[in-house]
Amino acid sequence: MPAYNEAAVIADVINQLRQTFRGRGYEHEIIVIDDCSIDNTCEAAKSAGAKVIRHILNTGSGGSTATGLIYAQKNNFDLAATLDADGQHLAEDVLRGIKLIQKNDSDLLIGSRLIDSQGMSKVKRIGNKGLSIITFILFGVKVTDSQSGLRIFSKAALDSLKWRTHGYEFASEMLWRAKQRKLRINEFPIKAIYTEYSTAKGQNNWNAFNIIKSLIKRRIVELFGE
Amino acid sequence: MSRYLILVILNIPLILAGIINSLVGYKLGRMTRGRFIFGLVFWLILLFGLIFVKPIYTFLFSNNLTKTEPLSLFDVIQITGIIFTLFIANKAFGKADLLERRFNDLHQELSIRLSKEKGDE
Repeated sequence: MPAYNEAAVIADVINQLRQTFRGRGYEHEIIVIDDCSIDNTCEAAKSAGAKVIRHILNTGSGGSTATGLIYAQKNNFDLAATLDADGQHLAEDVLRGIKLIQKNDSDLLIGSRLIDSQGMSKVKRIGNKGLSIITFILFGVKVTDSQSGLRIFSKAALDSLKWRTHGYEFASEMLWRAKQRKLRINEFPIKAIYTEYSTAKGQNNWNAFNIIKSLIKRRIVELFGE
Repeated sequence: MSRYLILVILNIPLILAGIINSLVGYKLGRMTRGRFIFGLVFWLILLFGLIFVKPIYTFLFSNNLTKTEPLSLFDVIQITGIIFTLFIANKAFGKADLLERRFNDLHQELSIRLSKEKGDE
C-alpha cells in the first residue's frame, strides 16, 4: 500500500484489511510504503499492525508501488495486491480479486471503478475514461480503468513486471509492460468509496495532462533509451 | 579537396562510432532489440545521406525541387557540428538513463534494508 501523508485514515484501512482477511486461510502481510510522509503515517500504520518500508526520498506513487512489489518478490510471495491508502477501496474487493486471480486466468487483475461507476463524479469519470483511451492509443492495452490503484499480481507478474515512471502515470506504463511481457491482463468490477477525504486527496483532474505528457514522453524515449 | 569529401571524412568516424556503440550495447545486453534497430537505422540514414549528398543535391536541383546554393565550407562545419551533437546527446542520454535506473534500484534496496534494520518492518 503506497502511502503519502495518510495518517488520518491509514489505520482504518489496515484494520479493515486485517478483519477481512482474518480466518480466511491466507498467510498474509500488510506492507505500507511510506513515501517520506511529513505526518504520522509511518507510526499510524505500524501501530495498526502493518509492516512499514519508509522511503529515503519521496518518489511518487509509482516508485512506492515498485518498492512494495520488489519486497514481495524478494520474499517469495505467491500473490500481491496493491490498493490506495486513502480508503477508497473496499477490503472485500481485495479479497475477491485474490480469489479471482487464484483461478489462474490472469497475471494482472485490475479492479475497475468504471465498470460500475456509481458514486464517481462526472469529471472524474471523464478524466479516467480519457486516460484509459490514451493508454489504448499509446500502448494498445484496452482496459476500462487504467488508473485504478487496486491491482492483484500473480507470481509471474511479480517476477517480471518493472516500470520506469514514478508518478501516477506508472499505472498506464505498468499495463504496457505487462503486455510486453505477455502477461494476462483482466479486470473485475469494484466499488470505490468517495469520502470528503478521498476526494480531496485524490488526483486533480488537471494532473491528467501531466500524466499524458509523461506517457507520450516515455513512449518516445523508449525508442532511444537503453 | 571537394567540400563533399571533407563532409564525409569528418563525419564518417562519428557515424561509425554511433553504429559500433549501438552494436556493442546490444551484444552486451544493455540495449533492447528495438532500441538497437532504431539506433542502427538512425545512423545508417545519416551515413547514406552523407555518402550520397552530392547525387541527392544534383537530383533535387535538376528536378527543380530545390534552389539552394551548393554546399559551402560553413555548411560542412555546421553539419559536422550537428552530427557531433547528436552523437554526444545520444551517449549522454544512455548514461543518464542507466544512472537513473541504478539510482532507483539503490533507493528501493536501501529503503527496504533500512526499514528492516530500524525494525519498521
